[in-house]
Order: sequence, then C-alpha cells, then structure tokens
Amino acid sequence: MELAHMAAALEIENASFTTPWTPGMFADELAQDDRVWLVAIEAEELLGYGGIMLAPDAVHVMNIAVAASARGEGVARALMLALAREAAARGARRMTLEVRATNAAALALYSGLGFDSLGVRPGYYDDTGEDAVIMWADIARLTAIAAAREGSDIILAIETSCDETAASVMRGGSETLSSVVATQVDFHARFGGVVPEIASRKHTEAIVGVVDEALEQAGLGFGDLDAVAVTYGPGLIGALVVGVAYAKGLSLATGLPLVGVNHLEGHIFANRLADPELTTPLIALVVSGGHTSLIHVPDWGEYHTLGSTLDDAAGEAFDKVAKLLGLGYPGGPAISRLAEQGDPAAIPFPRAMLHSGDYDFSLSGLKTAVLTYVRHEQAAGREIHIPNLAASFQAAVIDVQVAKAVRAAEEYGVRDFCLGGGVAANTALREALRVALAARGVRLSVPPFALCTDNAAMIASAAHFRLRKGAFLGLEAEATASLPLR
Amino acid sequence: MPVTLPDAITSRTEAETIALGTMLAPLLEPDDVVALSGDLGAGKTCLTKGVAAGLGVAEHVTSPTFNIMLEHHGRLELYHFDLYRLERADQLEDIDFFATLEAGGACIIEWGERFPAAMPEDYLAVEISIAEDDTRHFTLVAYGPRGERLANAWLSAVEAGTVEP
Repeated sequence: MELAHMAAALEIENASFTTPWTPGMFADELAQDDRVWLVAIEAEELLGYGGIMLAPDAVHVMNIAVAASARGEGVARALMLALAREAAARGARRMTLEVRATNAAALALYSGLGFDSLGVRPGYYDDTGEDAVIMWADIARLTAIAAAREGSDIILAIETSCDETAASVMRGGSETLSSVVATQVDFHARFGGVVPEIASRKHTEAIVGVVDEALEQAGLGFGDLDAVAVTYGPGLIGALVVGVAYAKGLSLATGLPLVGVNHLEGHIFANRLADPELTTPLIALVVSGGHTSLIHVPDWGEYHTLGSTLDDAAGEAFDKVAKLLGLGYPGGPAISRLAEQGDPAAIPFPRAMLHSGDYDFSLSGLKTAVLTYVRHEQAAGREIHIPNLAASFQAAVIDVQVAKAVRAAEEYGVRDFCLGGGVAANTALREALRVALAARGVRLSVPPFALCTDNAAMIASAAHFRLRKGAFLGLEAEATASLPLR
Repeated sequence: MPVTLPDAITSRTEAETIALGTMLAPLLEPDDVVALSGDLGAGKTCLTKGVAAGLGVAEHVTSPTFNIMLEHHGRLELYHFDLYRLERADQLEDIDFFATLEAGGACIIEWGERFPAAMPEDYLAVEISIAEDDTRHFTLVAYGPRGERLANAWLSAVEAGTVEP
C-alpha cells in the first residue's frame, strides 16, 4: 500500500467503520519499518487493504477492510492469506487480531482461516462499549490454506483407523507423491524383525517406518510439507489413537498445522482420486467390514449421512455368514465366489428395511435368517446347497443396498454415485448398482481395489479440501471411535 | 465356583430379547460386567440393544465386531465389547480392556469365553442357546456374589413383568 492509495482507502474506511482511521493514522503506519500493508486491486480499482505490525512475539493485524461492493468475494481472505505469507517470509510464527463480538461475518472469516478465539476484552470498543474477541492463529495455518487454495499444498496423511498403518504424501489433493500401506512394506528388511498382527501395538511399531517410507518415496522431508493430516475416526479406538498421537506430536515438533479427516470421507475421496471427472453433487455408499453408510455430498467437503446400518455392517454380515457355513473368518470374499455358482432366487431370505422409507440398513436379521435356515435344513436331514445359499444371501444384501442407492440418487437428483470401502470389491454389488443407476442416467464410480481398502492417499485428498476451508484439528482433539460424518 | 441359576429365561422373538435387556438395564451398577455367549445370531447384540435402551442410550447400538469395543453414553457409560476378532489374550491390553472394566460404567462382553483368564473375579455370564423351535434360552451363571445378586434381580424383574415386545 502506498500513499497514492490513500484517497480510495479512506472512502472504504469511512464506509466500513464507525470510528474510522484518519489520514494521519494511515500515513503514520505506512512510514514505519515494522509494518506490512497490502492492497487488493482489480481493474485499477481499490477493493480493499490490510496491514500488520511485526512485533517480536507475534504479528498483529492492524486493520483490514473491503469495499462494500466487493464483499463476499473472498477479498478479505485473500488479503489475510497474502499478509500471512509476508509475515512467514519475515520469520513470524503467530498472528493475532481483535474483532467485534457482534461481527459474525468477520468471526466466521477468521475461524475459517484457522484463528481460534482465545479471549475477550470486555467493553473494548469505545463507540458502542462492545466486547472484542481476541483471536490467534499459527501463521503456518494461513500459509497452508493459501497453498491449498492455489493447489500447491503438500500434505502428509496418516491412517490407522483399523488394521492398516498407512501414510501418503500428496500435492494439491490429487497428485499422489507416495502412498504406503504397512502390509506392503518389507519390514523384515527395514527392521530385521517380524510385525505383530493387531491394533495399537502393530501401529506403534509400524508408524515411524511407514511415514519415513512415504517421505522417502516422495523425495521430501518434513520441511517441504504444508500440513499433516490424520484419520481421527471412526474406527478402532486403540488403533486410531496411535495415528492421532503421532500426528499431534509431529505437528507440535514441526509447527505444521494438523488436519483431521473422517475415515468415511476418505473412502469418498478415493473415488475422486481414481476418477478426477467426478463431480458433486453425488451420493456415496461406503460399505466395508466396519461401515455401511449412504451419504449425500452436495459439495466436496459437505456431507449429510442419509442412513447407515442399525446393527451389522455389510462386510461383517458376509464374514459372519461365512463363519456360519464353516468357510472361516473373515470369509466374505469366499461367499462372493460361491455365490457366482449359485441361484440367487433359491432361498427367499428377508430384505430387511427394503420398504422402511428411510436410508438405514439392518443386516443382523438376515444373518439370523441364514442361521435359522441352516439349522432347519440340518434338522430335517437335508444337505445344504452352499452356492445357492451364498447367492441367495448375497442377493438379499444387494437388493436392499441397490434399492436405497437408487432412491437416494433420485431424491437428490445426482448424476454421479460413488461406491467405496472393501465391499466395493464385490462384483455382483458393483454390477447390480451399475445397471440400476445407469437405467436412471446416473454414473457409478468405483475406485480400483487398492483404493477401496484402507489407505492414506484418500485421507490426504480429503484433507486438501478440509485445508482449503481452513478446517483444522487442535492439539486437544481426540480420536473418536464413532465419529459422525458432517 | 460359578453358580448356575436353576431358572433360565426364554425369549421367542427379537423384540422379547430386547425387552429382556431393558429389564436388566435398571439393575446395573458401576463396574458391573455381563458376559454374553452363544452362536452367531443367538441374540447377543440384540440383548445389548435392550440394555442400551434401558440405560437411556440415544444412538443405535451397532455390532462392535469390527471396532472390538463401542462406547455408549447413558445413565451409565455402556462399554460393549466383542472379543471375536482378537487372536491372543495379550491383545486385550492393546484395547485397554482391563482399565475399561474398572472405568465406572457397565460392560457387556461378547465372546468373553475365549479369554476366561481375562474375565473379572465377579460377573454375570449369560449363555444363550437356540432350541429346536428357534426360541432362545438364557442360562445365567454367576461368577461371584455381585453376579449372583444381579442374576436374581433380573430373574425377579422378568417374572414380575410379562416379557412382551
């Protein structure tokens, strides 16, 4: 900002504030060395301006204003992000400002830039006696948002919600620089030992190696990153806490901002990674060993869970029926293979909640129906035709999933539908969905198998969109086993 | 020595099983442990749904098989375990099993019989069997005085109220 901008700036200033700055105040500010003032200009017209003071402890936002005609167009956000970059270039770490407690638009803007409200100064504003809200942000949050908004952000994502320890480095939400899943790493070579099988201990032992491997494959170090992302739910609590604790530690040690991702959101973004053409609004069906959820996505980063299972997840039902039939556990894939040779109409299993009028699922009753059928047949001394049973069971699951999927697609008028989660590997489900949706002009997107199962690339991609919106996770946040998707 | 109560409880439908759970709920005290055993489809999670409803849990109680433990907020915290996927007793440490038993809530443990040495000193075991006609029989086995009191109180509650959906 220069003195030449003063006349236009004063117009905006006088129109914006009840106690506007005077020309003398502006002139005094611009003359000082420890200030940075920037202007937003379009077609030679001044849209807004903002200034910061570089104090030793923190950067103070002195003033920011946008012309009434240019409000709501992201000018203030752009000014703040540009000021943050100037501050970061001068080695500053923290930024603070005060804002009128009643200025909802400004409060929303600043919290969307990663500012936290850390206090109130009662009666701070002389003109109205209003309180000032004191807000602080790590400048790294603002520079990360700025990078994400121009698509140059580099995110390290960590996923430990279930059995897999995974890490990925991604640029701009879609360019996968590396994606490492623990079971694919030769840990014997890396650590000279074997890896135990489950949950927190496995994750604890694997996470450092997996993150190292992800950075190494990307050819980057912590200093190259803009943010760290982590799955903080839903999932196994003992597994989630390892990833969350590691990511928090990394954030604290490096100063990198932390982004929390919902695991189900990750499964939706797996589709976007594999299929960049995918556009919102869309409906997503996430089906796995632990989840069965139908989700409306009006825009990237916006979610409405329409329904989910009231008891067993779809993958769990497959696994449990496999167990009932003596096919081992987990045996979902074995059921699907046997079903290919069976008659899906052989046994009329119940279609639970097919006509319930909502988008919830129930699979426990079907499991019990299979058990009852098996017991009755055995009691009657009849041999069970396993392929027919598998096919009939699978058809009962698929019929309900497809019916609800189609109804959701129609009700919300979407042209795209995503399938995600491990059960997306089930060919019969994919085909039934594809046919039913295509008949209504809706395109089905299914990611390749490596992206259907748990991975961190999908978490990194989801984190990119969270970052663009300035949605950060504080260091006080905790892993949450049953985290709703919002 | 575990004490098997002479009376078993019978349920003919899922709704009855849920009703049985709602009758057990008001009797539960902090750190009570109820172990449920029985085949897949016997009604373990169904009974737990009833207990959760009786404790005033608002959300749906889904199967904890995948998560191993799910926590629900009611009059008491309800910790719902399913140890089916665990392979070794030392994995109980990984899921914070022992601390959770003493966390001041009520614990329902499915497939606890896989790790008998890990079970607390005093608890109530409910063994669910399926009869020829698909009715479910709930046999109550008390491991300790608290388990026995809980079993008797539950039996009395079931006798006093008719088990109707």
